[in-house]
Amino acid sequence: MSTATRSLAFAARSLLRQPGRAGVGILGIAAVGALLFDMLLLSRGLVVSFRELLDSVGFDVRILSSDSLPMGGARLANASQIARDLAALPEVAEAIPIRVIDAEAVPAVGFALMAIDGDFRAGRAGRAGRDGGYEGSEGLVINQRLADALKVKAGDTIRVRVSCVSGRAPLPPSPFPVAGVGEFPFDDGAQLTASTSWARLRSACGGEGDDADMLLVASREGHGADAAVRAIRRARPDLHPATNEEIVARMQQGSFSYFRQISAVLSTITLLFGFLLITVLLTVSVNQRLAEIAAVRALGFSRGRVAADVLWQSALLVGSGGLLAVPLGFALSLWLDRILKAMPGVPTSIHFFVFEPRALALHATLLVVTALAAAMYPIRLVAALPIAETLRNEVV
Amino acid sequence: MARRAIVSLAAAALALAQTLGDNTAASQADVTRDGPPELLVSRQLLEAQHLSVGEVVSISADPKGDQPQPFRIAGVYEPLPDPMRLGALRHEVRLHLPDLVSLTSSADSVDAINVALPDPATAAAFAREVAPRLPGMMVRSTSAPDEAQRAATFIVLDRFHLAIAIVTVIGSSVFLLALTLMLVDERRETVGILRLIGFRRRRILLYMLAEGVVLAGTGAITGVVLAALLQGGVNRFFQWRYDTALLFVRVTPGVVARSIAMSVPLGVLASIASSWTLLRHEAISLSRR
Repeated sequence: MSTATRSLAFAARSLLRQPGRAGVGILGIAAVGALLFDMLLLSRGLVVSFRELLDSVGFDVRILSSDSLPMGGARLANASQIARDLAALPEVAEAIPIRVIDAEAVPAVGFALMAIDGDFRAGRAGRAGRDGGYEGSEGLVINQRLADALKVKAGDTIRVRVSCVSGRAPLPPSPFPVAGVGEFPFDDGAQLTASTSWARLRSACGGEGDDADMLLVASREGHGADAAVRAIRRARPDLHPATNEEIVARMQQGSFSYFRQISAVLSTITLLFGFLLITVLLTVSVNQRLAEIAAVRALGFSRGRVAADVLWQSALLVGSGGLLAVPLGFALSLWLDRILKAMPGVPTSIHFFVFEPRALALHATLLVVTALAAAMYPIRLVAALPIAETLRNEVV
Repeated sequence: MARRAIVSLAAAALALAQTLGDNTAASQADVTRDGPPELLVSRQLLEAQHLSVGEVVSISADPKGDQPQPFRIAGVYEPLPDPMRLGALRHEVRLHLPDLVSLTSSADSVDAINVALPDPATAAAFAREVAPRLPGMMVRSTSAPDEAQRAATFIVLDRFHLAIAIVTVIGSSVFLLALTLMLVDERRETVGILRLIGFRRRRILLYMLAEGVVLAGTGAITGVVLAALLQGGVNRFFQWRYDTALLFVRVTPGVVARSIAMSVPLGVLASIASSWTLLRHEAISLSRR
């Protein structure tokens, strides 16, 4: 048996001699470790989840009228022409305009109506009818909640009033056939959404308005999003293209930063808490075993050996607590995620707590550093212990 | 030297000339009626573009900056802190309504008409009464659905913070239990001697209970004082980080009462639990080495 193994076994026996205290210590570390793990999942959860959501739609570049966030700035005028011009670029495979307006199904069910064209309708993000009823371009694809609210199914016709300009009175209602029921990736848990073709929306708006909230661009294979953005900037310097990565970075600077910062603050507090807990546990444990430590030192145990005993005790406490913290943290993250997803406007496919292997690695690293730091003071105590004096004071 | 920069910003028009000057947070420049029309700029825009009150700026409704019109900065205002726009650049100006109409070459149209009622409680009834008289218009109370949705976000955040607080309290309780266990264990011999000289279990338990109350109370008060001291720094950091006047942390009497109501009983419970593990042993076994 090697020295390290013997030292580990000795530390384990020391802890097992006081199972209540060791158990409470491990539980405490598991609790703070679980919170730390959750904060690490939260620190990048929204970013990872939002990035996955953007990528899942199948377009890797968004074009806006300014450097604002998508749907947050002024609309792009002459969107159809811009889309045609951009689609002709060799770096661009596809460019389609998208516009979202307020609409109201008669008698009074308000919903968001999205106008979009191109391959998008083939099902990448909601134009496809789940029941396969969508064929033409004039119909509406509605989400299940809207279908339930209106009590309609594919093949029915609904009368819809659209508000083509925000704040203006809606236009008189016009009939829209329901082509199918689909799912829209950016819907939140309560949203009522429908989509139609670009041409149909323009016709419903009285032929006026070729403004888009955004243009979705898919880069051509072999070129990539960055090359497409460069090409678009060269061709149309007045446009503001951004890759999905850049959009996510903007979100990180803005609305996502709150969760990153709360995660940083809570991670620091939990680490400090864990450090204090382990330091106090080990220090008190060492203080209570001064006579025993002095005795084993007198029997021939080296300073390094007794210091290793304390270090192993710290490692065992943190290791056991840390292992317990991972499943506990997972369970806790599901609960916290469910709470946060109740926030209005958050797409159902977005998660605040997302597992990444790097979070697990960082969790383990932080716990190891905490265990080492927490063991420093008690190690110093046992290493500097005067053997004869301690034996005289404690035993005699 | 003339400066030229095209900055995209949001413009709002106010119908009453008086209102333009009402919300200024800083000094007002002397206004010459014959000069260019006035506008107010948000503090954020003023700072970002290094503008000053009295300066003449050009504003265009066109993103390319075509057909600009000169405006004199009459003052600066702090935009209403809006938690829903946290992190958003508040680069905004306020113009008189006729100036905005002239700038945008739009017809005499507005986005909304705000109505102030003598009794705000009658807002819903007023909306119900007016709506049928204005077909195609939306009439609603400013405290209706949008505000409810706004509140919903903060209710969710409040729940999230509460959940985090519960987990923290559980972790702290375990920590406290571990500490009191060790504290009590250190007094094993003392308790054994006290028992041997005639102290009853109940009396020793009361002594430890009193100690627990003092420790938990001191801890709770220290926590509250620490939070009160830190709140200014936390607010200042986040206000700087998001360039907003919002308050992020506020230690209210309710928060203080809740934290004391949770921490003191928990401390006392931990004292009782750990003391009991010691007191249930026989006196002779406690005093044995």
